[in-house]
Amino acid sequence: MAPVTLSTDKHKDYRSNSLWRLTLRRISRQSSARVGMVILGFLILVAVFANVIAPYDPEQVLIGLEDGVKKRSDPCIHLLGCPKDQAQHIMGIDGNVRDQFSRVVFGSRISLMIGFTTISFAIIIGTILGAISGYAGGAIDNIIMRILDVLMAFPSLLLAITIVSVLGPGLQNALLAIAIVTIPVYARVVRASVLSIKEMPYVAASRALGGSPLHILISRVLPNAIPPLIVTGTLGIGTAILDAAALSFLGLGAQPPMSEWGTMLGSERNQVFTAPHLVFFPGIAIMLTVLAFNLLGDGLRDAIDPRLGQAN
Amino acid sequence: MKSRSLLSAVIFLVLVSMAVAACTPAAPTAAPVEVQPTAVPVEPTAVPAEPTAVPVEPMPAFEGMVQTAPDCDYGGLIKEIAAVDELTVQFTMCVPDPAFPSKAAFSAFAIQPKEWIETAMVSREILEKPVGTGPYYLESWNRGDSIVLKKFADYWGDPAITDTVVFRWSGEGAARLLELQSGTVDGIDNPSPDDFEVIKADPNLKLYDREALNIFYVAMTNTFPPFDNVKVRQAIAMGLDRQRLVDNFYPEGSEVASHFTPCAVPNGCTGDAWYDYDLEAAKALLTEAGFPDGFDTKIYFRDVFRSYLPEPSLVATDIQAQLKDLGINAEIVVMESGAFIEESSAGRLDGLYLLGWNADYPHITNFLDYHFTASNPQFGNPFPEVYEKLAEAAQIADPAVATPLYVEANNAIKELVPMVPIAHGGSATAFKAEVTGAHASPLGNEYMAVMDPAGRDTLVWMQNAEPISLYCNDETDGESLRPCEQILESLLSYQVGGTVVEPGLATSCDPNDDLTVWTCHLQSGVKFHDGSTLDANDVVQSWVVAWDAANPLHIGNTGAFEYFTYLFGNLLNAE
Repeated sequence: MAPVTLSTDKHKDYRSNSLWRLTLRRISRQSSARVGMVILGFLILVAVFANVIAPYDPEQVLIGLEDGVKKRSDPCIHLLGCPKDQAQHIMGIDGNVRDQFSRVVFGSRISLMIGFTTISFAIIIGTILGAISGYAGGAIDNIIMRILDVLMAFPSLLLAITIVSVLGPGLQNALLAIAIVTIPVYARVVRASVLSIKEMPYVAASRALGGSPLHILISRVLPNAIPPLIVTGTLGIGTAILDAAALSFLGLGAQPPMSEWGTMLGSERNQVFTAPHLVFFPGIAIMLTVLAFNLLGDGLRDAIDPRLGQAN
Repeated sequence: MKSRSLLSAVIFLVLVSMAVAACTPAAPTAAPVEVQPTAVPVEPTAVPAEPTAVPVEPMPAFEGMVQTAPDCDYGGLIKEIAAVDELTVQFTMCVPDPAFPSKAAFSAFAIQPKEWIETAMVSREILEKPVGTGPYYLESWNRGDSIVLKKFADYWGDPAITDTVVFRWSGEGAARLLELQSGTVDGIDNPSPDDFEVIKADPNLKLYDREALNIFYVAMTNTFPPFDNVKVRQAIAMGLDRQRLVDNFYPEGSEVASHFTPCAVPNGCTGDAWYDYDLEAAKALLTEAGFPDGFDTKIYFRDVFRSYLPEPSLVATDIQAQLKDLGINAEIVVMESGAFIEESSAGRLDGLYLLGWNADYPHITNFLDYHFTASNPQFGNPFPEVYEKLAEAAQIADPAVATPLYVEANNAIKELVPMVPIAHGGSATAFKAEVTGAHASPLGNEYMAVMDPAGRDTLVWMQNAEPISLYCNDETDGESLRPCEQILESLLSYQVGGTVVEPGLATSCDPNDDLTVWTCHLQSGVKFHDGSTLDANDVVQSWVVAWDAANPLHIGNTGAFEYFTYLFGNLLNAE
């Protein structure tokens, strides 16, 4: 019998059919997901290079530094006819006489940080709870899931407001509150995956070979429960950013002088008619960021969902 | 046959009923109210009865109420309040009180019927159903939506022009302006400063500037380090660019405060003007105080629009930026309004805090005595250099004679810096241009009875917030006081749109020579909204339930009766 050799082509096929490559290929074929990736890429670049892009320190009050600068001035763009002797402020001046463009640019850092940190925290805790609940079953499952059901019974933003009210206003507490209210979502996703995966033949085989429950959970079950978690997490980032903006708008999240988009909206909400640019640009920034995560999340879901496997 | 018998029986019964009704004496239109004076009655004034042709029941002699403090050691200003006769009330003070007329005109001393107070205070009905003598009576209070007032036909003074006044409210300046522009309201309070130009440019609207009779200050509590060091406080006084704050965050008509009290108030601006902005001198003082690199602190404030602080968060942020130039890192802490007032009043805030004061009555004691008196812990340990001079000056009627004392007090405030006076903030009201009689009162008590919305029978006014209650003897909130002032009246009143004290329910309040006894003479024939007639006992009861903490009717809304406490010192029988 001739020795079996693994042909390079076959190896290539095997690699090309891995879940991640398949997912990437599927995403790249969806125009909405591509748009989401482009916007997100742009936002990440803006956040990383905020120091270079922003012409001013976002907290720098310009009184005394520039002649004739007034609070809530309209945008001044030289290319669009603004006199050359005036300093250029492409998104205008805010109520505290600071450059609005610089604040919007630096706001991208905070918003992305909010999205990633809250969801990472919620995913870690949710995964642990969901995995224990799903794999152990019985009374443990019941206790954990009922507690999470109670958490889910409250409207998430209302619960976040309550938590921040107890802990005190501030960005850290707002992040913690948003993370806490989103934990049940991830715990339920992981539990559902674990419940189906733990009955699979390869898990039964591992169990028959004497694998410890912890080993089976970590090396056999959880890796296969991750894809739906990624989809939910990506969609959740947008929601988390919106929730954080809402809390900041209400004065419970980021505190002045931090350049957070929700705070910027909240502090100028009364100027919607007299200085609309001060609410327009932070609003657009929030909308674009959330849109990017939603488009990407939708694309990921379509790509990972096995029922949509026709795009192989 | 049967129906005919039934009809006859009914007719017979009706005839009998009519006969019985005709023979019965007329029932009174209202249940008689037995007046039980809670305080000790004074000797009744002997009134000789006029002989009449038909003998009638003699009118019960007037039993005047009197409430007396055993002595003046309880820490208050009032010794006795007595109804001398039906239309005369006498206030005996522990010390001379030249500001008594200004205080007696304030809406926190409004008069309600004695019987109504006795009935409605315990049930707390009085909080929502005031019975006054004003040009309007309360028709309905639709919680969360509006208050509807109706013209009082039996008003003793000039009747109201408009039949109905509706109070509405919105916390957002932009929303108030939108309502005015869309014509759903006739007038609004406190348009945002940025909207002043919009209103002026609109031919359908008119802006009425409100005189800046207020003060915005940055305070420190000297019981918390590093504010226990006078050099730190002086450094902050010199390191804040107050002109920059006024230029950027205040509307026209505002001015940098040279003193704590506005200059429009007699003796307000006596003594040295406040420190000029000098960043280098401020840094040098901080270094001398042992803080060459600054320190960390907090800036507390409430995010509530007030005429002395129209843009709280922006001002807080700018002060934060200015302090950074001094090396002081300040964290901004926004507090709920009630908690903020409670904590700051008790001197429990460990950082800087932004607060202000609107004049309640146009007298220097309303500004200085409240804030810097010996019993006020707001700025930490009170300064005898200030409060001793104020106590002495408060007993002098002639402002010119009191001037040297106020010079010393104002100079001591500058030297000791319990707070930094920043600005006297201008504010405004805005009305439809067609509304005649519209105005802005420096005391915030716009009087709706003189306004005419172009002949329409309803005037709609929109203010910042819903009243807390309509028992304003135990309220301090201006949003509550304004509707009260349309319904209720005090012994004296303020000129419409001004600050001059004028007759109210009393034609006059006259002092004795040393200003320790004030005798108020009531108007005769004044009717309350419930039809009863005003007499001296109504006045005594209205004052005594606030003054005497042991009185069973000393209930109010919170029971604090804050204005009474700070205008007349400690409450009687307070624990």
